[in-house]
Amino acid sequence: MNLRRALRTLWAFFRRDLAIARSYRLLFLLEPIEMLFAVATFFYLSRFVQSTELTRALPRGMNYFTFALVGLAFFDYLNVAFSAFEQSLDQARRNGTLEALLVTETPLPVMLVGSALYPFTLTALRTAVYLGWGMFVFGFPWRAANWPGALAVLLVSILAFAGLGVLSASYLLVFKRGNPARWLFIGASALLGGMMYPISVLPQTLQVAARLVPITYSLEGMRGALLQGASFGELWPSLRALLLFAVVFLPVSFAAFAWALRRTKVTGTLTHF
Amino acid sequence: MGSDALTIENLEKYFPPARTGWKTLVQPFTRATVCALAGISFAVGRGEVLALIGANGAGKSTLLRIIATLLAPTRGRAAVAGFDVEREPARVRRELGFHTGGDTGFYARLSARENLQFFATLNNLAGDPAARRIREVADLLALGEMMDRQVRTFSTGMVHRLGLARALLHAPTLLLLDEPTRSLDPLAAAEFRRFLKNEVVLQRGTALVFASHTLAEVEELANRVALLDGGRLLACDTVPRVLASAGAATLGEAVERLTLRAHQETRE
Repeated sequence: MNLRRALRTLWAFFRRDLAIARSYRLLFLLEPIEMLFAVATFFYLSRFVQSTELTRALPRGMNYFTFALVGLAFFDYLNVAFSAFEQSLDQARRNGTLEALLVTETPLPVMLVGSALYPFTLTALRTAVYLGWGMFVFGFPWRAANWPGALAVLLVSILAFAGLGVLSASYLLVFKRGNPARWLFIGASALLGGMMYPISVLPQTLQVAARLVPITYSLEGMRGALLQGASFGELWPSLRALLLFAVVFLPVSFAAFAWALRRTKVTGTLTHF
Repeated sequence: MGSDALTIENLEKYFPPARTGWKTLVQPFTRATVCALAGISFAVGRGEVLALIGANGAGKSTLLRIIATLLAPTRGRAAVAGFDVEREPARVRRELGFHTGGDTGFYARLSARENLQFFATLNNLAGDPAARRIREVADLLALGEMMDRQVRTFSTGMVHRLGLARALLHAPTLLLLDEPTRSLDPLAAAEFRRFLKNEVVLQRGTALVFASHTLAEVEELANRVALLDGGRLLACDTVPRVLASAGAATLGEAVERLTLRAHQETRE
Protein backbone atom coordinates (compact mmCIF):
# COMPACT_ATOMS: atom_id res chain seq x y z
CA MET A 1 0.00 0.00 0.00
CA ASN A 2 1.54 3.31 -1.04
CA LEU A 3 1.52 6.43 1.14
CA ARG A 4 -1.21 8.21 -0.83
CA ARG A 5 -3.55 5.28 -0.54
CA ALA A 6 -2.75 4.83 3.15
CA LEU A 7 -3.57 8.50 3.82
CA ARG A 8 -6.79 8.22 1.80
CA THR A 9 -7.79 5.19 3.86
CA LEU A 10 -6.95 6.92 7.15
CA TRP A 11 -9.07 9.88 6.07
CA ALA A 12 -11.96 7.49 5.32
CA PHE A 13 -11.79 6.16 8.89
CA PHE A 14 -11.71 9.69 10.27
CA ARG A 15 -14.71 10.75 8.16
CA ARG A 16 -16.62 7.65 9.20
CA ASP A 17 -16.14 8.36 12.90
CA LEU A 18 -16.85 12.07 12.50
CA ALA A 19 -20.09 11.34 10.62
CA ILE A 20 -21.19 8.89 13.34
CA ALA A 21 -20.35 11.42 16.10
CA ARG A 22 -22.20 14.20 14.28
CA SER A 23 -25.29 12.04 14.09
CA TYR A 24 -25.54 12.46 17.89
CA ARG A 25 -25.86 16.24 17.60
CA LEU A 26 -26.81 17.21 21.14
CA LEU A 27 -23.94 15.29 22.73
CA PHE A 28 -21.58 16.83 20.18
CA LEU A 29 -22.68 20.34 21.20
CA LEU A 30 -22.92 19.87 24.95
CA GLU A 31 -19.47 18.41 25.58
CA PRO A 32 -17.61 21.78 25.64
CA ILE A 33 -20.05 23.00 28.29
CA GLU A 34 -19.31 19.93 30.42
CA MET A 35 -15.60 20.75 30.10
CA LEU A 36 -16.21 24.31 31.30
CA PHE A 37 -17.72 22.87 34.48
CA ALA A 38 -14.67 20.64 35.00
CA VAL A 39 -12.24 23.56 34.50
CA ALA A 40 -14.28 25.80 36.82
CA THR A 41 -14.27 23.07 39.49
CA PHE A 42 -10.48 22.90 39.33
CA PHE A 43 -10.18 26.67 39.43
CA TYR A 44 -12.16 26.99 42.65
CA LEU A 45 -10.58 23.88 44.15
CA SER A 46 -7.13 25.38 43.50
CA ARG A 47 -8.15 28.60 45.28
CA PHE A 48 -9.25 26.53 48.23
CA VAL A 49 -6.08 24.42 48.48
CA GLN A 50 -3.55 27.14 47.54
CA SER A 51 -0.94 27.54 50.31
CA THR A 52 2.70 28.48 50.73
CA GLU A 53 3.64 24.82 51.20
CA LEU A 54 1.86 23.83 48.00
CA THR A 55 3.46 26.65 46.00
CA ARG A 56 6.85 25.53 47.31
CA ALA A 57 6.21 21.93 46.20
CA LEU A 58 5.20 22.96 42.66
CA PRO A 59 7.81 23.62 39.96
CA ARG A 60 8.73 27.27 39.42
CA GLY A 61 6.13 29.48 37.75
CA MET A 62 3.14 27.19 38.40
CA ASN A 63 0.14 27.53 40.64
CA TYR A 64 -2.07 24.59 41.51
CA PHE A 65 -4.77 25.49 38.97
CA THR A 66 -2.41 25.52 35.98
CA PHE A 67 -0.56 22.44 37.26
CA ALA A 68 -3.75 20.42 37.72
CA LEU A 69 -5.37 21.63 34.51
CA VAL A 70 -2.46 20.40 32.39
CA GLY A 71 -2.52 17.13 34.35
CA LEU A 72 -6.24 16.68 33.79
CA ALA A 73 -6.16 17.61 30.10
CA PHE A 74 -3.23 15.40 29.14
CA PHE A 75 -4.08 12.39 31.26
CA ASP A 76 -7.00 12.01 28.83
CA TYR A 77 -4.51 10.95 26.15
CA LEU A 78 -3.44 7.94 28.16
CA ASN A 79 -7.07 6.94 28.70
CA VAL A 80 -7.82 7.37 24.99
CA ALA A 81 -4.71 5.47 23.92
CA PHE A 82 -5.86 2.53 25.99
CA SER A 83 -9.51 2.71 25.01
CA ALA A 84 -9.40 3.79 21.33
CA PHE A 85 -8.10 0.54 19.85
CA GLU A 86 -10.06 -1.66 22.24
CA GLN A 87 -13.32 0.21 21.70
CA SER A 88 -12.97 0.26 17.96
CA LEU A 89 -12.37 -3.50 17.93
CA ASP A 90 -15.20 -4.16 20.35
CA GLN A 91 -17.65 -1.97 18.42
CA ALA A 92 -16.71 -3.66 15.14
CA ARG A 93 -17.43 -7.03 16.71
CA ARG A 94 -20.72 -5.87 18.19
CA ASN A 95 -22.10 -4.13 15.10
CA GLY A 96 -20.93 -6.99 12.88
CA THR A 97 -18.53 -4.94 10.76
CA LEU A 98 -15.36 -6.73 11.88
CA GLU A 99 -15.56 -9.48 9.26
CA ALA A 100 -16.53 -6.95 6.59
CA LEU A 101 -13.47 -4.86 7.50
CA LEU A 102 -11.13 -7.83 7.57
CA VAL A 103 -12.09 -9.02 4.08
CA THR A 104 -11.12 -5.69 2.52
CA GLU A 105 -7.73 -5.02 0.96
CA THR A 106 -6.68 -2.62 3.72
CA PRO A 107 -3.82 -3.94 5.89
CA LEU A 108 -4.57 -4.31 9.57
CA PRO A 109 -2.03 -1.76 10.88
CA VAL A 110 -3.67 0.91 8.69
CA MET A 111 -7.07 -0.06 10.11
CA LEU A 112 -5.75 0.19 13.66
CA VAL A 113 -4.23 3.61 13.09
CA GLY A 114 -7.34 4.74 11.21
CA SER A 115 -9.64 3.67 14.03
CA ALA A 116 -7.60 5.63 16.57
CA LEU A 117 -7.39 8.81 14.50
CA TYR A 118 -10.73 10.30 15.47
CA PRO A 119 -10.52 9.55 19.21
CA PHE A 120 -7.05 11.13 19.35
CA THR A 121 -8.20 14.16 17.36
CA LEU A 122 -11.21 14.53 19.62
CA THR A 123 -8.93 14.37 22.66
CA ALA A 124 -6.73 17.06 21.12
CA LEU A 125 -9.84 19.19 20.70
CA ARG A 126 -10.92 18.45 24.27
CA THR A 127 -7.48 19.50 25.47
CA ALA A 128 -7.71 22.69 23.44
CA VAL A 129 -11.16 23.38 24.90
CA TYR A 130 -9.89 22.71 28.45
CA LEU A 131 -6.95 25.06 27.94
CA GLY A 132 -9.16 27.54 26.08
CA TRP A 133 -11.58 27.80 28.99
CA GLY A 134 -8.58 28.07 31.32
CA MET A 135 -7.05 30.88 29.26
CA PHE A 136 -10.09 32.96 28.47
CA VAL A 137 -12.07 32.55 31.68
CA PHE A 138 -9.61 31.67 34.43
CA GLY A 139 -6.36 33.38 33.47
CA PHE A 140 -4.27 30.37 32.40
CA PRO A 141 -0.89 31.89 31.36
CA TRP A 142 -0.32 31.13 27.68
CA ARG A 143 1.99 33.87 26.43
CA ALA A 144 5.18 32.27 27.78
CA ALA A 145 4.36 28.80 26.41
CA ASN A 146 6.62 26.97 23.95
CA TRP A 147 3.80 25.74 21.68
CA PRO A 148 5.99 23.84 19.18
CA GLY A 149 7.64 22.15 22.16
CA ALA A 150 4.24 21.22 23.59
CA LEU A 151 3.22 19.81 20.21
CA ALA A 152 6.41 17.72 20.06
CA VAL A 153 5.77 16.33 23.55
CA LEU A 154 2.17 15.57 22.58
CA LEU A 155 3.09 13.71 19.38
CA VAL A 156 5.78 11.62 21.04
CA SER A 157 3.44 10.91 23.97
CA ILE A 158 0.78 9.64 21.57
CA LEU A 159 3.33 7.28 20.00
CA ALA A 160 4.39 6.05 23.44
CA PHE A 161 0.82 5.55 24.64
CA ALA A 162 -0.44 4.00 21.37
CA GLY A 163 1.80 0.98 21.85
CA LEU A 164 0.13 0.30 25.19
CA GLY A 165 -3.29 0.68 23.58
CA VAL A 166 -2.53 -1.82 20.81
CA LEU A 167 -1.19 -4.27 23.41
CA SER A 168 -4.44 -3.91 25.31
CA ALA A 169 -6.47 -4.52 22.13
CA SER A 170 -4.41 -7.67 21.48
CA TYR A 171 -5.42 -8.93 24.90
CA LEU A 172 -9.08 -8.21 24.13
CA LEU A 173 -8.82 -10.05 20.82
CA VAL A 174 -7.55 -13.24 22.46
CA PHE A 175 -9.37 -13.22 25.81
CA LYS A 176 -12.54 -11.31 24.79
CA ARG A 177 -12.79 -9.34 28.04
CA GLY A 178 -11.33 -5.97 28.97
CA ASN A 179 -7.71 -6.08 29.93
CA PRO A 180 -7.29 -6.05 33.74
CA ALA A 181 -3.71 -4.78 33.27
CA ARG A 182 -5.20 -1.71 31.61
CA TRP A 183 -6.93 -0.59 34.80
CA LEU A 184 -3.87 -1.42 36.83
CA PHE A 185 -1.69 0.64 34.50
CA ILE A 186 -4.07 3.60 34.36
CA GLY A 187 -4.48 3.51 38.14
CA ALA A 188 -0.73 3.32 38.64
CA SER A 189 -0.21 6.15 36.14
CA ALA A 190 -2.73 8.35 37.97
CA LEU A 191 -1.00 7.61 41.26
CA LEU A 192 2.59 7.86 40.09
CA GLY A 193 2.53 10.09 37.01
CA GLY A 194 1.95 13.42 38.76
CA MET A 195 -1.47 14.19 37.35
CA MET A 196 -2.77 16.06 40.41
CA TYR A 197 0.41 16.57 42.46
CA PRO A 198 4.13 16.77 41.75
CA ILE A 199 5.86 13.42 42.09
CA SER A 200 8.28 15.02 44.57
CA VAL A 201 5.60 14.59 47.26
CA LEU A 202 5.67 10.79 46.80
CA PRO A 203 7.85 8.49 48.96
CA GLN A 204 11.27 7.80 47.44
CA THR A 205 10.40 4.27 46.21
CA LEU A 206 7.28 5.53 44.43
CA GLN A 207 9.30 8.33 42.87
CA VAL A 208 11.56 5.66 41.36
CA ALA A 209 8.48 3.71 40.18
CA ALA A 210 7.10 6.92 38.62
CA ARG A 211 10.06 6.86 36.21
CA LEU A 212 8.71 3.61 34.77
CA VAL A 213 5.42 5.04 33.47
CA PRO A 214 5.39 7.19 30.32
CA ILE A 215 2.78 9.67 31.59
CA THR A 216 5.35 11.03 34.08
CA TYR A 217 7.58 12.24 31.23
CA SER A 218 4.61 13.38 29.22
CA LEU A 219 3.27 15.61 32.00
CA GLU A 220 6.73 16.90 32.92
CA GLY A 221 7.38 17.85 29.30
CA MET A 222 3.95 19.34 28.77
CA ARG A 223 4.07 21.45 31.93
CA GLY A 224 7.59 22.56 31.08
CA ALA A 225 6.55 23.61 27.57
CA LEU A 226 3.23 25.22 28.47
CA LEU A 227 3.83 26.73 31.88
CA GLN A 228 7.56 27.44 31.92
CA GLY A 229 8.22 28.00 28.21
CA ALA A 230 10.98 25.35 28.35
CA SER A 231 13.24 25.19 25.29
CA PHE A 232 13.66 22.03 23.20
CA GLY A 233 16.96 21.44 24.99
CA GLU A 234 15.18 21.49 28.35
CA LEU A 235 12.41 19.26 27.01
CA TRP A 236 14.83 16.74 25.53
CA PRO A 237 15.04 14.42 28.61
CA SER A 238 11.23 14.01 28.56
CA LEU A 239 11.14 13.63 24.77
CA ARG A 240 13.97 11.06 24.84
CA ALA A 241 12.24 8.95 27.50
CA LEU A 242 8.94 9.02 25.59
CA LEU A 243 10.70 8.09 22.35
CA LEU A 244 12.30 5.15 24.13
CA PHE A 245 8.87 3.96 25.32
CA ALA A 246 7.54 4.33 21.75
CA VAL A 247 10.48 2.46 20.21
CA VAL A 248 9.99 -0.43 22.64
CA PHE A 249 6.18 -0.59 22.81
CA LEU A 250 5.13 0.05 19.19
CA PRO A 251 6.91 -2.87 17.46
CA VAL A 252 6.12 -5.20 20.36
CA SER A 253 2.45 -4.19 20.32
CA PHE A 254 2.04 -4.62 16.55
CA ALA A 255 3.75 -8.01 16.73
CA ALA A 256 1.46 -8.96 19.64
CA PHE A 257 -1.61 -7.84 17.68
CA ALA A 258 -0.56 -9.80 14.60
CA TRP A 259 -0.02 -12.87 16.80
CA ALA A 260 -3.38 -12.36 18.53
CA LEU A 261 -5.17 -12.04 15.20
CA ARG A 262 -3.47 -15.14 13.86
CA ARG A 263 -4.43 -16.98 17.05
CA THR A 264 -8.11 -16.03 16.67
CA LYS A 265 -8.00 -17.23 13.06
CA VAL A 266 -6.65 -20.56 14.28
CA THR A 267 -9.14 -20.90 17.14
CA GLY A 268 -12.08 -19.47 15.18
CA THR A 269 -12.90 -16.89 17.86
CA LEU A 270 -12.42 -13.73 15.83
CA THR A 271 -15.99 -12.54 16.14
CA HIS A 272 -16.73 -14.00 19.57
CA PHE A 273 -17.51 -11.66 22.47
CA MET B 1 -3.66 -16.51 -13.54
CA GLY B 2 -5.22 -19.98 -13.12
CA SER B 3 -8.46 -20.84 -14.87
CA ASP B 4 -10.31 -21.69 -11.67
CA ALA B 5 -11.91 -19.05 -9.47
CA LEU B 6 -11.41 -21.29 -6.45
CA THR B 7 -9.23 -24.31 -5.75
CA ILE B 8 -9.44 -26.32 -2.55
CA GLU B 9 -6.90 -29.11 -1.99
CA ASN B 10 -6.98 -31.51 0.97
CA LEU B 11 -8.19 -28.76 3.24
CA GLU B 12 -8.35 -29.57 6.96
CA LYS B 13 -9.46 -27.46 9.87
CA TYR B 14 -9.31 -28.33 13.56
CA PHE B 15 -10.50 -26.11 16.42
CA PRO B 16 -9.47 -26.26 20.06
CA PRO B 17 -12.21 -27.80 22.23
CA ALA B 18 -14.61 -25.27 23.79
CA ARG B 19 -13.84 -24.43 27.44
CA THR B 20 -15.91 -22.91 30.21
CA GLY B 21 -15.13 -21.11 33.47
CA TRP B 22 -11.51 -20.29 34.25
CA LYS B 23 -10.36 -22.71 31.54
CA THR B 24 -11.41 -20.13 28.91
CA LEU B 25 -8.16 -18.37 29.85
CA VAL B 26 -6.11 -21.26 28.48
CA GLN B 27 -8.47 -21.95 25.55
CA PRO B 28 -6.48 -19.82 23.06
CA PHE B 29 -3.41 -21.97 23.78
CA THR B 30 -5.16 -25.34 23.73
CA ARG B 31 -4.26 -27.83 21.01
CA ALA B 32 -6.76 -27.93 18.15
CA THR B 33 -8.34 -31.38 18.23
CA VAL B 34 -11.96 -30.86 17.11
CA CYS B 35 -12.29 -31.63 13.41
CA ALA B 36 -14.34 -29.13 11.39
CA LEU B 37 -13.07 -29.97 7.91
CA ALA B 38 -11.35 -33.21 6.87
CA GLY B 39 -9.48 -33.39 3.58
CA ILE B 40 -11.80 -31.32 1.39
CA SER B 41 -10.88 -30.95 -2.30
CA PHE B 42 -12.79 -29.36 -5.18
CA ALA B 43 -12.51 -26.53 -7.68
CA VAL B 44 -14.94 -23.88 -8.91
CA GLY B 45 -14.56 -22.43 -12.39
CA ARG B 46 -15.10 -18.80 -13.34
CA GLY B 47 -18.79 -18.03 -13.72
CA GLU B 48 -19.75 -21.27 -12.00
CA VAL B 49 -22.14 -21.57 -9.04
CA LEU B 50 -21.42 -24.05 -6.26
CA ALA B 51 -23.80 -24.59 -3.34
CA LEU B 52 -22.52 -25.87 -0.01
CA ILE B 53 -25.17 -27.95 1.71
CA GLY B 54 -25.30 -30.04 4.86
CA ALA B 55 -26.62 -29.99 8.41
CA ASN B 56 -25.65 -27.38 11.00
CA GLY B 57 -22.03 -27.93 12.00
CA ALA B 58 -21.22 -29.68 8.72
CA GLY B 59 -18.40 -27.20 8.03
CA LYS B 60 -20.01 -24.89 5.45
CA SER B 61 -19.38 -21.61 7.25
CA THR B 62 -15.90 -22.72 8.32
CA LEU B 63 -15.03 -23.44 4.71
CA LEU B 64 -16.37 -20.06 3.55
CA ARG B 65 -14.40 -18.25 6.27
CA ILE B 66 -11.17 -20.01 5.36
CA ILE B 67 -11.64 -18.95 1.73
CA ALA B 68 -12.39 -15.38 2.93
CA THR B 69 -9.08 -15.38 4.92
CA LEU B 70 -10.99 -15.02 8.22
CA LEU B 71 -9.87 -18.43 9.47
CA ALA B 72 -6.53 -20.17 9.08
CA PRO B 73 -6.60 -23.72 7.70
CA THR B 74 -4.83 -26.37 9.77
CA ARG B 75 -3.54 -28.23 6.71
CA GLY B 76 -4.09 -28.23 2.96
CA ARG B 77 -4.51 -25.36 0.56
CA ALA B 78 -7.17 -22.93 -0.66
CA ALA B 79 -6.56 -20.53 -3.52
CA VAL B 80 -8.73 -17.81 -5.04
CA ALA B 81 -7.95 -16.96 -8.66
CA GLY B 82 -4.62 -18.74 -8.08
CA PHE B 83 -3.70 -16.77 -4.93
CA ASP B 84 -3.10 -18.78 -1.77
CA VAL B 85 -5.28 -17.72 1.19
CA GLU B 86 -2.42 -18.22 3.64
CA ARG B 87 0.49 -16.78 1.70
CA GLU B 88 -1.22 -14.01 -0.29
CA PRO B 89 -4.28 -12.96 1.75
CA ALA B 90 -4.27 -9.37 0.44
CA ARG B 91 -4.40 -10.58 -3.19
CA VAL B 92 -7.15 -13.05 -2.27
CA ARG B 93 -9.24 -10.29 -0.67
CA ARG B 94 -8.91 -8.24 -3.86
CA GLU B 95 -10.51 -11.11 -5.79
CA LEU B 96 -13.42 -11.92 -3.50
CA GLY B 97 -16.64 -10.50 -2.17
CA PHE B 98 -18.03 -11.91 1.07
CA HIS B 99 -21.50 -11.46 2.47
CA THR B 100 -23.14 -13.24 5.36
CA GLY B 101 -26.90 -13.36 5.47
CA GLY B 102 -27.25 -11.42 8.73
CA ASP B 103 -28.87 -8.00 8.98
CA THR B 104 -25.86 -6.39 10.70
CA GLY B 105 -22.44 -5.46 9.39
CA PHE B 106 -23.00 -1.77 8.67
CA TYR B 107 -22.68 1.50 10.54
CA ALA B 108 -26.32 2.04 11.43
CA ARG B 109 -26.09 5.83 11.81
CA LEU B 110 -24.41 6.34 8.44
CA SER B 111 -26.32 6.42 5.19
CA ALA B 112 -26.07 3.55 2.74
CA ARG B 113 -23.95 5.77 0.49
CA GLU B 114 -21.56 6.70 3.31
CA ASN B 115 -21.22 3.02 4.22
CA LEU B 116 -20.46 2.00 0.64
CA GLN B 117 -18.04 4.92 0.18
CA PHE B 118 -16.15 3.84 3.30
CA PHE B 119 -15.86 0.20 2.24
CA ALA B 120 -15.01 1.23 -1.33
CA THR B 121 -12.04 3.23 -0.03
CA LEU B 122 -10.90 0.23 1.99
CA ASN B 123 -11.00 -1.75 -1.25
CA ASN B 124 -8.86 0.81 -3.05
CA LEU B 125 -11.72 2.50 -4.90
CA ALA B 126 -11.96 6.25 -4.47
CA GLY B 127 -13.06 9.45 -6.18
CA ASP B 128 -15.03 9.30 -9.43
CA PRO B 129 -14.51 5.57 -10.11
CA ALA B 130 -15.87 4.79 -6.62
CA ALA B 131 -18.87 7.12 -7.05
CA ARG B 132 -19.59 5.57 -10.46
CA ARG B 133 -19.30 2.04 -9.12
CA ILE B 134 -21.53 2.83 -6.13
CA ARG B 135 -24.13 4.24 -8.50
CA GLU B 136 -23.89 1.12 -10.66
CA VAL B 137 -24.34 -1.39 -7.83
CA ALA B 138 -27.05 0.75 -6.21
CA ASP B 139 -28.99 0.78 -9.50
CA LEU B 140 -28.36 -2.91 -9.97
CA LEU B 141 -29.81 -3.70 -6.54
CA ALA B 142 -32.60 -1.11 -6.72
CA LEU B 143 -31.15 0.85 -3.81
CA GLY B 144 -31.04 4.15 -5.67
CA GLU B 145 -33.64 6.13 -3.73
CA MET B 146 -32.56 4.78 -0.37
CA MET B 147 -28.88 5.55 -0.67
CA ASP B 148 -28.99 8.69 1.45
CA ARG B 149 -31.03 7.19 4.26
CA GLN B 150 -29.40 5.97 7.48
CA VAL B 151 -28.99 2.20 7.47
CA ARG B 152 -30.78 1.94 10.83
CA THR B 153 -34.02 2.76 8.98
CA PHE B 154 -33.56 -0.15 6.53
CA SER B 155 -35.58 -3.35 6.54
CA THR B 156 -33.74 -6.69 6.71
CA GLY B 157 -34.18 -7.17 2.98
CA MET B 158 -32.68 -3.76 2.24
CA VAL B 159 -29.68 -4.47 4.47
CA HIS B 160 -29.24 -7.71 2.54
CA ARG B 161 -29.17 -5.88 -0.74
CA LEU B 162 -26.75 -3.37 0.69
CA GLY B 163 -24.53 -6.23 1.87
CA LEU B 164 -24.51 -7.69 -1.60
CA ALA B 165 -23.79 -4.23 -3.06
CA ARG B 166 -20.76 -3.98 -0.79
CA ALA B 167 -19.56 -7.45 -1.77
CA LEU B 168 -19.85 -6.53 -5.47
CA LEU B 169 -18.30 -3.05 -5.24
CA HIS B 170 -14.85 -4.05 -6.40
CA ALA B 171 -16.12 -6.46 -9.08
CA PRO B 172 -14.79 -9.65 -7.46
CA THR B 173 -13.88 -12.85 -9.30
CA LEU B 174 -15.50 -14.94 -6.59
CA LEU B 175 -18.54 -14.13 -4.47
CA LEU B 176 -19.00 -15.97 -1.17
CA LEU B 177 -22.43 -15.93 0.45
CA ASP B 178 -23.36 -17.56 3.74
CA GLU B 179 -27.08 -18.35 3.78
CA PRO B 180 -27.88 -15.42 1.54
CA THR B 181 -31.68 -15.54 1.90
CA ARG B 182 -31.84 -16.57 5.57
CA SER B 183 -33.89 -13.62 6.77
CA LEU B 184 -35.75 -12.71 3.60
CA ASP B 185 -39.44 -13.28 2.95
CA PRO B 186 -40.23 -15.73 0.08
CA LEU B 187 -40.88 -12.96 -2.43
CA ALA B 188 -37.69 -11.05 -1.61
CA ALA B 189 -35.72 -14.32 -1.60
CA ALA B 190 -36.95 -15.23 -5.08
CA GLU B 191 -36.07 -11.76 -6.35
CA PHE B 192 -32.64 -12.00 -4.73
CA ARG B 193 -31.97 -15.38 -6.39
CA ARG B 194 -33.03 -14.03 -9.80
CA PHE B 195 -30.67 -11.12 -9.35
CA LEU B 196 -27.78 -13.35 -8.35
CA LYS B 197 -28.26 -15.66 -11.32
CA ASN B 198 -28.92 -13.10 -14.02
CA GLU B 199 -26.91 -10.06 -13.01
CA VAL B 200 -24.03 -11.47 -11.01
CA VAL B 201 -23.31 -14.85 -12.52
CA LEU B 202 -24.59 -14.78 -16.09
CA GLN B 203 -23.95 -11.16 -16.96
CA ARG B 204 -20.73 -10.53 -15.04
CA GLY B 205 -19.25 -14.02 -15.00
CA THR B 206 -18.65 -13.91 -11.25
CA ALA B 207 -18.15 -17.32 -9.64
CA LEU B 208 -20.51 -17.89 -6.74
CA VAL B 209 -20.07 -20.18 -3.75
CA PHE B 210 -22.91 -20.09 -1.26
CA ALA B 211 -24.02 -22.04 1.78
CA SER B 212 -27.72 -22.74 2.16
CA HIS B 213 -30.25 -24.91 3.94
CA THR B 214 -32.93 -24.10 1.34
CA LEU B 215 -32.70 -26.92 -1.17
CA ALA B 216 -35.09 -25.30 -3.67
CA GLU B 217 -32.74 -22.34 -3.73
CA VAL B 218 -29.80 -24.65 -4.30
CA GLU B 219 -31.52 -26.36 -7.23
CA GLU B 220 -32.49 -23.04 -8.76
CA LEU B 221 -29.07 -21.43 -8.54
CA ALA B 222 -26.29 -24.00 -8.44
CA ASN B 223 -24.46 -25.72 -11.27
CA ARG B 224 -23.04 -28.13 -8.70
CA VAL B 225 -23.62 -28.96 -5.04
CA ALA B 226 -21.06 -29.91 -2.41
CA LEU B 227 -22.59 -31.98 0.40
CA LEU B 228 -20.71 -31.73 3.68
CA ASP B 229 -21.22 -33.80 6.80
CA GLY B 230 -19.11 -33.58 9.94
CA GLY B 231 -16.40 -31.81 7.97
CA ARG B 232 -16.23 -34.45 5.24
CA LEU B 233 -17.16 -33.89 1.61
CA LEU B 234 -19.72 -36.60 0.75
CA ALA B 235 -20.49 -35.46 -2.78
CA CYS B 236 -19.55 -32.66 -5.16
CA ASP B 237 -21.39 -32.83 -8.45
CA THR B 238 -24.33 -31.58 -10.48
CA VAL B 239 -27.78 -32.11 -8.96
CA PRO B 240 -28.79 -34.89 -11.45
CA ARG B 241 -25.58 -36.80 -10.74
CA VAL B 242 -25.97 -36.43 -6.98
CA LEU B 243 -29.54 -37.73 -7.30
CA ALA B 244 -28.31 -40.65 -9.43
CA SER B 245 -25.50 -41.58 -7.05
CA ALA B 246 -27.94 -41.60 -4.13
CA GLY B 247 -30.73 -43.29 -6.08
CA ALA B 248 -33.04 -40.48 -4.96
CA ALA B 249 -35.85 -38.52 -6.56
CA THR B 250 -35.29 -35.24 -4.77
CA LEU B 251 -32.27 -33.38 -3.44
CA GLY B 252 -33.62 -33.61 0.12
CA GLU B 253 -33.87 -37.36 -0.21
CA ALA B 254 -30.37 -37.55 -1.69
CA VAL B 255 -28.91 -35.55 1.20
CA GLU B 256 -30.57 -37.84 3.70
CA ARG B 257 -29.44 -41.07 1.96
CA LEU B 258 -25.86 -39.97 1.37
CA THR B 259 -25.53 -38.72 4.95
CA LEU B 260 -26.94 -41.93 6.42
CA ARG B 261 -24.70 -44.01 4.15
CA ALA B 262 -21.65 -42.03 5.35
CA HIS B 263 -22.66 -42.51 8.99
CA GLN B 264 -23.06 -46.27 8.47
CA GLU B 265 -19.65 -46.51 6.80
CA THR B 266 -18.12 -44.62 9.73
CA ARG B 267 -19.70 -47.01 12.24
CA GLU B 268 -18.47 -50.05 10.30
